Amino acid sequence: MTAPEDVPGGGRSPSIVSYLQLFESAGILVLLAVVVLVASVITTGFFTYANLTNIAINAAIVAVTGLGMTFAIAAGGMDLSVGSLQALTAIVASALLHVTGIPVALLGALLVGGACGLLNGLLITRLQMPPFVATFGMMSILRGVSLLVTNGQSVMITGTPSYALINNGRVFGLPVPLVIVLVLWALLQLVLRHTPFGRHVCAIGGNAKAAVVSGIKVERTTLLVFAIVGLTAAISGVMLSAQLLIVDGTLGAGFELQTIAIAVLGGTSLAGGSGSLTGTLLASLLLATLSSALNIFKVAAFYQYLYLGILLVAALYLDTLRRSLIASSLLRRE
Amino acid sequence: MTRASTAPQAEPGREPPFLPRAHDFLGGLVRFALRYYIHVLLLAALVILSAVNANFRTSANFENILLQSSFAGIGAAGMTFLIIAGAFDLSVAGMLGACGIVLALLSPQLGGLPAAIVVVVLGMGLGFLNGLVVTRMRIPAFIATLGMMNVYLGVAFIATRGQVLPIDSELLMDLGTNSLLGFIPFPFLVMVAIYVAAAFLLRRTIFGRQVRAVGSSPNAARTAGIPVDRVRIAAFVLVGFCTGVAGVLLTGELSSANAIMATGYELSAIAIVVVGGTSLKGGSGTVSGSFTGALFFSVINNALNIFGVGAYWQYVISGVLLITAIGVQVVRGYVREEESARERAT
Repeated sequence: MTAPEDVPGGGRSPSIVSYLQLFESAGILVLLAVVVLVASVITTGFFTYANLTNIAINAAIVAVTGLGMTFAIAAGGMDLSVGSLQALTAIVASALLHVTGIPVALLGALLVGGACGLLNGLLITRLQMPPFVATFGMMSILRGVSLLVTNGQSVMITGTPSYALINNGRVFGLPVPLVIVLVLWALLQLVLRHTPFGRHVCAIGGNAKAAVVSGIKVERTTLLVFAIVGLTAAISGVMLSAQLLIVDGTLGAGFELQTIAIAVLGGTSLAGGSGSLTGTLLASLLLATLSSALNIFKVAAFYQYLYLGILLVAALYLDTLRRSLIASSLLRRE
Repeated sequence: MTRASTAPQAEPGREPPFLPRAHDFLGGLVRFALRYYIHVLLLAALVILSAVNANFRTSANFENILLQSSFAGIGAAGMTFLIIAGAFDLSVAGMLGACGIVLALLSPQLGGLPAAIVVVVLGMGLGFLNGLVVTRMRIPAFIATLGMMNVYLGVAFIATRGQVLPIDSELLMDLGTNSLLGFIPFPFLVMVAIYVAAAFLLRRTIFGRQVRAVGSSPNAARTAGIPVDRVRIAAFVLVGFCTGVAGVLLTGELSSANAIMATGYELSAIAIVVVGGTSLKGGSGTVSGSFTGALFFSVINNALNIFGVGAYWQYVISGVLLITAIGVQVVRGYVREEESARERAT
């Protein structure tokens, strides 16, 4: 069943669906406003410039991969290997910085990310594996490789102070990570909404068999989708390494959960067939704001596992409710 | 409901990638290897490793292999049911940590055995909770249980503040570390008992048949009057039971518990089941395959240790084995397709 709201050309399907969509985007904004309000009333440190910048940067790092994940979910799949890939690409970038300059380091990380994404895609298309099993296996492999290449040690980034600009630099007064995520959002939005490729992604996620029959090159499109996810994981790996300036093989544990959670919270249905990149962006902001507020309240880091898990299950339950609502409204119209 | 009908479907018009002709010797060999490949692999690994390494073929090492196979193996027994029923549980690592911690907290007050029983019941309760989330909230199992894993881990961390909790119950430590006749570890005995019961449950009971029916086609099962949701929930409870038992044994073996004591447990359990030949599409699978798979993984990890290969390789090997096993399933699907086509032709 295709949720009509985000399928290009499906915008004319009326009433309840469009209300639902409005409510969803508004829902996240309302939640965000509530969290901001509560945090700023109860604490003093929340509305400082430094803290807001921090929230934006943390949101950006998750959102970059979340945007890629939105593509994968829209295509009816998902990628569980992004956390391990984030670690691996952060390590590749940091290691390359010791021998070459920044451009080569960035290129190296992106190449590794894209290649691993392609490998995921090959496993899924050539071996016809369910995406989550293939990427689950890759998650383990890439985690092992990350730990192996670093031998379990940390890698420091020293000697290239300008690398940190990727994290704390400014363009037109905006933090660089925010600029990166906004540019990526605009680009991917364009691809998803206004190119044949974007329409094919939604078509495959909506009904893979119908997509095959209508002549869409499913294999190539799927490959490309997972390559995009790999690239976005690499970008967030670079951003994370620039933020931490010290990386190790354990980075990014649970990152796949966060990215899936923001995509689903943002209104992208796990059923596939549609994707809301803007929703993903807003949801990442909500998640980062919540984390920051909890930090300021000095809630122990352990609780973050708990609330992330509950948030994910709650978001998925909302997705279920929404789908059955849409289904029943469609039935009624018939 | 035949097994062939639930094997990975070969798409029409696509040639199997690397399969020799059926009638010649090589083709027969490939087919034999595909059916019994995990048993062949285990045997080959045992023979080769025993031949090349003197440290491998000691009785102490074999005892160790049996011991190490039992923790993930017990979890894999429950997981076999769940995967045949067409679902997954990725929360078992968090569940096992939570069970271990509750055991460490309760055993001083209740004594070893009552605490162990409470913990196994707790495991079943958590499995029931997973089942409810998956069936009642209608969330895909793997993503729902990924969320629940974080919930369990979070609770376990909060309860212990991230500390390691020691246990002092003699009984539990004996259970985790001692052996029958000096070479059959108790956890392995428990594992054998669980697998015998599981094989009986899957092959000889109505419930086993229902599990297979639900996995191979939920809609057909529902039409046939099988309570699909209840069967799925029961499979989740079985996973919880096995995880609880494994939690008791692992806590006994380590003589302590902490939240992350079982990191990667879900991967090992699922990899064992898949390597053992259970189809990820649900509906078909064998308990004995999982048993062999558990031993195989234990032998491989043991060999890695003996040859001084770092622990990090185990992540890589588990992942590669998982992906390879699914590749084998795909090829198997082609073989079945081809065989049934030939049967129809004759």
